[in-house]
Amino acid sequence: MATDTLRSGASAGGLRRLLLDNGALTALIVLVIAMSALSGDFLTTDNLLNVGVQAAVTAILAFGVTFVIVSAGIDLSVGSVAALSATVLAWSATQHGVPVFIAVVLAVVTGIAAGLVNGFLIAYGKLPPFIATLAMLSVARGLSLVISEGSPIAFPDSVSHLGDTLGGWLPVPVLVMVVMGLLAAFVLGRTYIGRSMYAIGGNEEAARLSGLRVKKQKLAIYAFSGVFAAVAGVVLAARLSSAQPQAADGYELDAIAAVVIGGASLAGGTGKASGTLIGALILAVLRNGLNLLNVSAFWQQVVIGVVIALAVLLDTLRRKAGATPVAGAPQGGKGRQATTYGLAAVVTVAIVGATSFLHNDSSSTANPKVGLSLSTLNNPFFVQIRAGAQAEAKKLGVDLTVTDAQNDASQQANQLQNFTSSSLGAIIVNPVDSDAASNSVKAADTAKIPVIAVDRGVNKASVDALVASDNVAGGELAAKTIGERLGGKGKIVILQGQAGTSAARERAEGFANGLKAYPGIQVVAQQPADFDRTKGLDVMSNLLQAHPDVQGVIAANDEMALGAIKALGSKAGASVSVVGFDGTPDGLNAVKNGTLFASVAQQPSQLGKIAVDNALKALQGKKVEETIKVPVKVVTKENVAGFTG
Amino acid sequence: MSNEDELLRIEGIRKSFPGVVALDGVDFDLRRGEVHVLLGENGAGKSTLIKMLSGSYHPDEGRVLVDGEEVRIRGAQDAERLGIATIYQEFNLVPDLTVAENIFLGRQPRRLGMIDRKRMEADAEVLLKRVGVNVSPRARVRELGIARLQMVEIAKALSLNARVLIMDEPTAVLTSGEVDKLFAIVRTLREDGVGIVFITHHLEEIAALGDRVTVIRDGKSVGQVPATTPEDELVRLMVGRSIEQQYPRERGDTGAALLKVEGLTRDGVFHDIGFEVHAGEVVGIAGLVGAGRTEVVRAVFGADPYDKGSVKVAGTALRGHDVGAAMSAGIGLIPEDRKGQGLVLDQTVEENLGLVTMRARARAGLVDLKGQREAAARIAEQLGVRMAGLHQHVRTLSGGNQQKVVIGKWLLADTKVLILDEPTRGIDVGAKVEIYQLINELTAAGAAVLMISSDLPEVLGMSDRVLVMAQGRIAGELDADEATQDSVMALAVSTNTVKTEKEARGGH
Repeated sequence: MATDTLRSGASAGGLRRLLLDNGALTALIVLVIAMSALSGDFLTTDNLLNVGVQAAVTAILAFGVTFVIVSAGIDLSVGSVAALSATVLAWSATQHGVPVFIAVVLAVVTGIAAGLVNGFLIAYGKLPPFIATLAMLSVARGLSLVISEGSPIAFPDSVSHLGDTLGGWLPVPVLVMVVMGLLAAFVLGRTYIGRSMYAIGGNEEAARLSGLRVKKQKLAIYAFSGVFAAVAGVVLAARLSSAQPQAADGYELDAIAAVVIGGASLAGGTGKASGTLIGALILAVLRNGLNLLNVSAFWQQVVIGVVIALAVLLDTLRRKAGATPVAGAPQGGKGRQATTYGLAAVVTVAIVGATSFLHNDSSSTANPKVGLSLSTLNNPFFVQIRAGAQAEAKKLGVDLTVTDAQNDASQQANQLQNFTSSSLGAIIVNPVDSDAASNSVKAADTAKIPVIAVDRGVNKASVDALVASDNVAGGELAAKTIGERLGGKGKIVILQGQAGTSAARERAEGFANGLKAYPGIQVVAQQPADFDRTKGLDVMSNLLQAHPDVQGVIAANDEMALGAIKALGSKAGASVSVVGFDGTPDGLNAVKNGTLFASVAQQPSQLGKIAVDNALKALQGKKVEETIKVPVKVVTKENVAGFTG
Repeated sequence: MSNEDELLRIEGIRKSFPGVVALDGVDFDLRRGEVHVLLGENGAGKSTLIKMLSGSYHPDEGRVLVDGEEVRIRGAQDAERLGIATIYQEFNLVPDLTVAENIFLGRQPRRLGMIDRKRMEADAEVLLKRVGVNVSPRARVRELGIARLQMVEIAKALSLNARVLIMDEPTAVLTSGEVDKLFAIVRTLREDGVGIVFITHHLEEIAALGDRVTVIRDGKSVGQVPATTPEDELVRLMVGRSIEQQYPRERGDTGAALLKVEGLTRDGVFHDIGFEVHAGEVVGIAGLVGAGRTEVVRAVFGADPYDKGSVKVAGTALRGHDVGAAMSAGIGLIPEDRKGQGLVLDQTVEENLGLVTMRARARAGLVDLKGQREAAARIAEQLGVRMAGLHQHVRTLSGGNQQKVVIGKWLLADTKVLILDEPTRGIDVGAKVEIYQLINELTAAGAAVLMISSDLPEVLGMSDRVLVMAQGRIAGELDADEATQDSVMALAVSTNTVKTEKEARGGH
């Protein structure tokens, strides 16, 4: 071995080398600088704390996943386990009177149990980690739906304080994130199990032949991941004051992305808690900044994907440049590491300070600013709300920022928080969940920003106006339509919406109410198809196997109705009548063609238009009505021609 | 000026990696129809050099000339175009494709956009015949043994019309019969005008096959000599000093039996294995590859299960298939596959040295980092591990130094019975002797050593007793003074064990 070594130039290329050595940190700094330069609202204490809060859940999950990835495994179940733990806490404390302290212990035990099952399947059952945790992803999600019966459960107040702030400014989630981060760093750097993770991830067989009890360690590693998931779940639910069975859906991928952005290798053996924190912060800064910059919801996803790829690319580049690999040497130059972060902080502050001067005099345009947070844009109904709102905003000269919460209550909380801290004139919210939006809306109320709810209400917080069509009444109308069509007698199936959403619950309630008037109608099956056309097709095909003689279908939205029509084929409109809900353009087309018998049409673009009208009124200090009902209409072949959403 | 027989010339190549100068002025040339041996200790820079020729690395300085013209080899395609083919120690074959598919991977003959399987297989057949290996082009590569895999690699190189064939330690994994076959093929290729760069650690192969030898030491080419140069001289060039004695075994007094194995059996793998190793003794296990030697020692160490028999250390029986129990009884295993089983390559020297003792030295779940560092520094110093520092990743150490790290982690655990499985495979002469010295020190201190080796001179030179295994059984035991290459080989290839096995099975 050639032992002569070259000392790296210490001072001249020092900064360049430092940044290359810490690819993720560089990426974070560049992002922060770019965001500060682009948006004057980014660099405020409030907003930076927002970023911290928004990073918290992902970061805590990701710390747990770091253990697993360092040991060359993968944990896909963390999002579901988080939701399950929070549900267990809320269910035992709120509905069964278990003392809160014990409920919290139960939640953590749930996390540990899920982790142990993962670990057992992987270490002793020899399942690939991907498969074992994929199974747990499904099981934990299912159990949380079973326990909660699909509805969010109010979170005990004492635990909800975890979502509050300390001393009025320091958000507790940030505190929890820091504590869990330090814990993760301690475990990875100093403990026997932590050092074993690197050895197992680096070379499992060598670790085993060196006497490490690899199987037992794996049990512990996945249990650790479960504990962190449980903590993340509790923090998430505390922020929303409610345990949502569908919470943290897909967060495992964010967590894995954060770990990998932070410099860990999926092949195992490398990774650090500090890197993971940086990874989570990169994701949060990005989402926050894109909200503030009013980037289209669709493009946000594209940008996030590109940044993930770039961040990891930067890291690969750094490795190619031959810098010392990140992990493995816990005590390796602690002083140097401190210098790194210190220097990074100084550089950031300097550049950010300079850019913030740019914004001092560039006061914003005269137009009133309004933010619209939609629950999803993955459904034509909400796209129409947006279209109506945007058209009206253009007409009235309002600057409208639209965000897409992707059916994720906590992402919506983040977006509302961003709206509040960027001091918009008014906020229009279309809640993912009526309970979960309450904390964010309260915050907006405190900041004296008028809030208009659209389509769904907000519980336990005051909104200036609710613009909605009545889901329960609409459900009753749908039941009546099918009842009359079948002459009061026949077998029908009901396709329900996504379990846990208020629209699904309320429409189901309406269907049940309406069907009471038709005792001759027999509901042979009720199954959820998640408001989704593909799932509607699958569920209907399955139901047809069991009930080939069905005569009617009520679907809680048009998308599922259209899926059912596909499954029914030529039967649709002939021997089977399908009634949908929403009156989307596709739905109305189907009504025209006769395959869809009727759609209980809301007027989404009207909802959007009226919401913007009222937001402007509230912003200008004019009085607005508390509830504005937008009429619901049953659209059939007879009246479809004259109907416009 | 350029010789018209000259295929390849390398002048003043320099290549450095961060912190390390791998090559520092290497000159080399290759003529048509010659076997040019590249000789050097592990880590001397041979692998770096051939990776330059295959396009994996690019030189920082210096020139590469092919047919007298300066070329830049940027990747595998460039190398292919220039007619340079490389056969690495780790084969580049896809296990689940057929032999023919592997030979023509990425260049399959096509007809109407579809792979012309018939032509491909016929072409492959011709190439395989030229290499002289009897294997069907339709066989899956997964099913082939190592020797045949190598032949497939050679056939693949020929299919590229390679004029320069680089072979990186092709004989390291072959049995002597297979080596003879390989040599025959290499000689045929040489007659066909192919220039062959041949890397080997076996000095006797140089005289048998080579024409010229270039010796590389510490990244520099230190000499070019004819292949007829005496071995002593080659070693002196390679190591930079002369080595007095290749096998410096110092036999002392033996004590009580430390390790006692009785009737150890795993059905279908090894049968009725029994032996003792005394304190202060080195027992060698010889035999052909596949005789079951590695399987036996892994079972003794608890890494694999066994069906019958017992393992006793200092009179106490060990639980089977329990590495922890074997370790606490004082057994340590240096596995055959150093990189795959002995080391965590991307961890530091310090962490690897502390792997075995980490648990025992931990307090309340916390690793004693300071103690670990001190112990690692002490043992690295004692073993003379050549490294930039305790924080160097073991991946970047040379083979000999890596092996010292593996041994070191067991020394830290006060191992009483050390099992060494092919301890010097792929290690250069200088480091070998250091490892032998270490074995001497261990036995002098009262430890027992069990050593598997396929290198017969090593077994004979270092063992106090030799066990010979054949077909999963112990075929015989020889004392140091009665063990010769012939007597060991006679036992290793003895077939009567097979018969007894068959009879035994018939009797059931």
